[in-house]
Amino acid sequence: MSTPAEVWSYRTLIVNLAQRDLKARYKRSFLGWMWSLINPAATLGIYTLVFGFFLKGTAPIGGNGTLNSFALYLFCGLVIWNMFAGIVNTSIGTFASAGPLLTRTYFPPECPMVAGLTTVVLQSFIEAGILMFFMILVGNVSWTAILILPIYTLMACFAFGIGLVLGLLNIRFRDVSYLVGIAMQVLFYATPIVYSLDIVPANFQRILLLNPLTTFVYAMRQVVYSLELPTLNNWLVMITAAVVSLVGGWIVFGRWAPSVIEEL
Amino acid sequence: MSAIIVNEVSKQFRLQKDRAHSIKELFTRRDRNAGTDHFWALQDVSLEIEQGSMYALVGHNGCGKSTLLRCIAGIYRPTSGSVKVAGRISTLLELGAGFHPDLTGRENVYMNATILGMSKKQIDGVFDEIVDFAGVGEFIDSPVKIYSSGMFVRLGFSVAVHVQPEILIIDEVIAVGDEEFQRKCFDHLYTLRKQGVTVVVVTHGMATVQTMCDRAIWLDHGVVQDEGPAPQVAQAYLRSVNQAESEHPIHVIAAVSVDEADSEGVSKPKPKPRPKPDTGIASEGEHWGSGELRVTAVEFLDFAGTPIEILPGGSPLRIRVSYECAEPIENPTFGFAMHTEGGIHVTGTNTRLSKLLTGVVEGRGSVEYETDHLPLLPGTYMVSVAVEDQFSQHTYDRYDLSWRLRVRQDSDLVMHGLVDIGGEWVLRLED
Repeated sequence: MSTPAEVWSYRTLIVNLAQRDLKARYKRSFLGWMWSLINPAATLGIYTLVFGFFLKGTAPIGGNGTLNSFALYLFCGLVIWNMFAGIVNTSIGTFASAGPLLTRTYFPPECPMVAGLTTVVLQSFIEAGILMFFMILVGNVSWTAILILPIYTLMACFAFGIGLVLGLLNIRFRDVSYLVGIAMQVLFYATPIVYSLDIVPANFQRILLLNPLTTFVYAMRQVVYSLELPTLNNWLVMITAAVVSLVGGWIVFGRWAPSVIEEL
Repeated sequence: MSAIIVNEVSKQFRLQKDRAHSIKELFTRRDRNAGTDHFWALQDVSLEIEQGSMYALVGHNGCGKSTLLRCIAGIYRPTSGSVKVAGRISTLLELGAGFHPDLTGRENVYMNATILGMSKKQIDGVFDEIVDFAGVGEFIDSPVKIYSSGMFVRLGFSVAVHVQPEILIIDEVIAVGDEEFQRKCFDHLYTLRKQGVTVVVVTHGMATVQTMCDRAIWLDHGVVQDEGPAPQVAQAYLRSVNQAESEHPIHVIAAVSVDEADSEGVSKPKPKPRPKPDTGIASEGEHWGSGELRVTAVEFLDFAGTPIEILPGGSPLRIRVSYECAEPIENPTFGFAMHTEGGIHVTGTNTRLSKLLTGVVEGRGSVEYETDHLPLLPGTYMVSVAVEDQFSQHTYDRYDLSWRLRVRQDSDLVMHGLVDIGGEWVLRLED
C-alpha cells in the first residue's frame, strides 16, 4: 500500500496526468473548455423547467429575506451532487484507462486516481463559481459561503473513497459500471436535490437522512442559500462519512490494486 | 555494489479462464474449485546485478523474462522472495506506453518523462536532445496519432533513455526500429553504461548478449537454467536451441547432424530427410529461393578431397557447393558466408565480388571455394550458401546458417577471438 507521502512525492506526475486529461478532454472541440460551463447550465435548465415550472417545486426564502428562486435552490444541491457523481464516475473510468500505463511503468496506482479527482474538483470549483456569481447578482451572499471549502473537501474525501473501491471492482467485474449507472439515478432521487426534505413524510425523512449525501446537500444549501451555519450534527455526519470512506477506500485500494493490475 | 538483488523470487499467476468475470458468474459458477488453477511464471529466481553493468535476460517466448522484469521494476509483486533495488528505475517495457494519441509529441514527451520520474525543469533541459535523437523534426507539435509507427517508437525510446535513470530496464523494444535506429540505440546504451547506468535487457539477439552484456540469466518456464558471464550463458542457450531444433527440425535438408557426431555416441533420432536428402552436413537456418537452380549439397573437404566435419585450425579447406539446374542459367553468382553462433559475420564472398564469370550453367555440377590456410580460431561457424543471378538481385536458392563448420584446437598456440592473424611477438630490448 502506498502511503499518502509516497503519492505526494509523485505530485508532478499527478499534475501532469490531470493536465493531460484536461487537455485531451476538449481537444478538437470547437467550444473547448466552455463545455465545462455549458454542461451544468444545461442540466440546471432542464431540472428547473421540469421540477420548478412543470411540477411547481417551491423553494424556501433565501438568507437575504427576499430571494425565492427554485432554480438557485436547486443549483446548490446540484453542484454538490455533480461533484459526488463526477468523482465516482471519473475514478471508475480512470483506473480502467490507466491500466496500460500501470502495467508498463511503476508508480503508485493511487496517482492517476488522485489526478482524476483533481480534474473533477477543479470542475466543481468552476460550478461553485457560477453559483456564487448568481448569488452575488441577486444579492444573497454572506461569509458563510466560505464554508463551501470544508464542505467540498469532505465531499471529495467521501466520494473518492467510494470511487477507489468501485474503480477496483470495475476491473474485476464489468457489471460495476452498469450497476453504478443505476445506483446513481436511484441515489439522485433518494437525495433531496430536486425537492426539499420538508415535503417528504416524516418517517421517510429518517430514511433519507441515513444517506450522507442528504446532509451534504442540506449543508450546502444552508451556507449558500439560507446563509446559515450547518448544525454540529451535520458536521459530524459529514466528517464521519468522509473519514470512513476515504480511509476504508484507501486501504482496500492499496491492498488489492497491485493484484488487479496484474490481471489487466 | 549491487544495484539489483533478486532473492529467490517466485511469481504465481492465476489462470484467467478460471475467473468469474461478472457478478452473475461469481454466484452461478458450478466449478468453483477450478478457480485454484495456478501456474508459476517464476520459480526461485535469484540474481544480483552489479551497478553500472549490463545484464541480459534470455530464453524463449513465455519463459518468464518479462515477468521478471516487471518484478524488478516493481509493477508485479513477487508471490515469495524479495527484490531489492538501489536507484531510480526507468522502464521501457513498451515504447510510447503513456502516449495519448490526441496530444502532440511535445505534450507526450513531457507526460512520459514525468511518468519516468523527471521534473519539468529537467525535461526542459533535455527536450531538444530528445527530439533530436528521435528524429521526428517538425512533427513534434503534431498529435502522435498521425505519427508513423517508427516515429512513435523512436520518440518513446528517446524519452526513456534521456531521463537520466540509474537503472534502465528494457524489454525487447529496440528490435522494433530500423537498422540505423537500432545502432543508435545501442550506441546510446553503451554511453549510458559508461556513465554508470545499470542496464537490464530482454533480448533474443545473442550477438547483443555476447558483445554488450556482462552477465546474463537464461530462464526456461520460469526456472533458471544458467546464470553467469554473458558469452557463456548465450552459448549454453544457443546450444540448447540448436539441439532442440535438430530434434524437431524445421528446415531439414540434411541426413546427418553434426550434433550427433559430437554427442559422443549418444544416439539421437535422426531427422527425417526431406525430398533432397544428400545436401551435406547439418541444417538449422532458413531456406528459400525460386528454384531454377538448386543447391543439392554443400561439403567441407580437406586438401585431398575427403569430406571432413571438424578440421584443425589453419589447415586447408575446400567448400564444395553442388547444384542442379532446371534450365540453363547465365552467369549465376555462387556465394557463401560464415557466422559465429552468436551471429557475428566472420567472412563471406561470392563469385561476383571475386569477378569470376561462371558462364552458362546447365544440368548438374559443383563449384568449390579453396583456401590453403583457414585462419579461423577454434569454434563453431555457421555456413550459409546462396546462388543468385548475375547481379545478386534474384535468389535461386539460399540456405541461411544451415551448415556447421567446426574448427578444433590443433596446437598449444592459444589465441582469443575469431581469427589467427598469423603474427609473431618480437622483443626488442634497448641496451
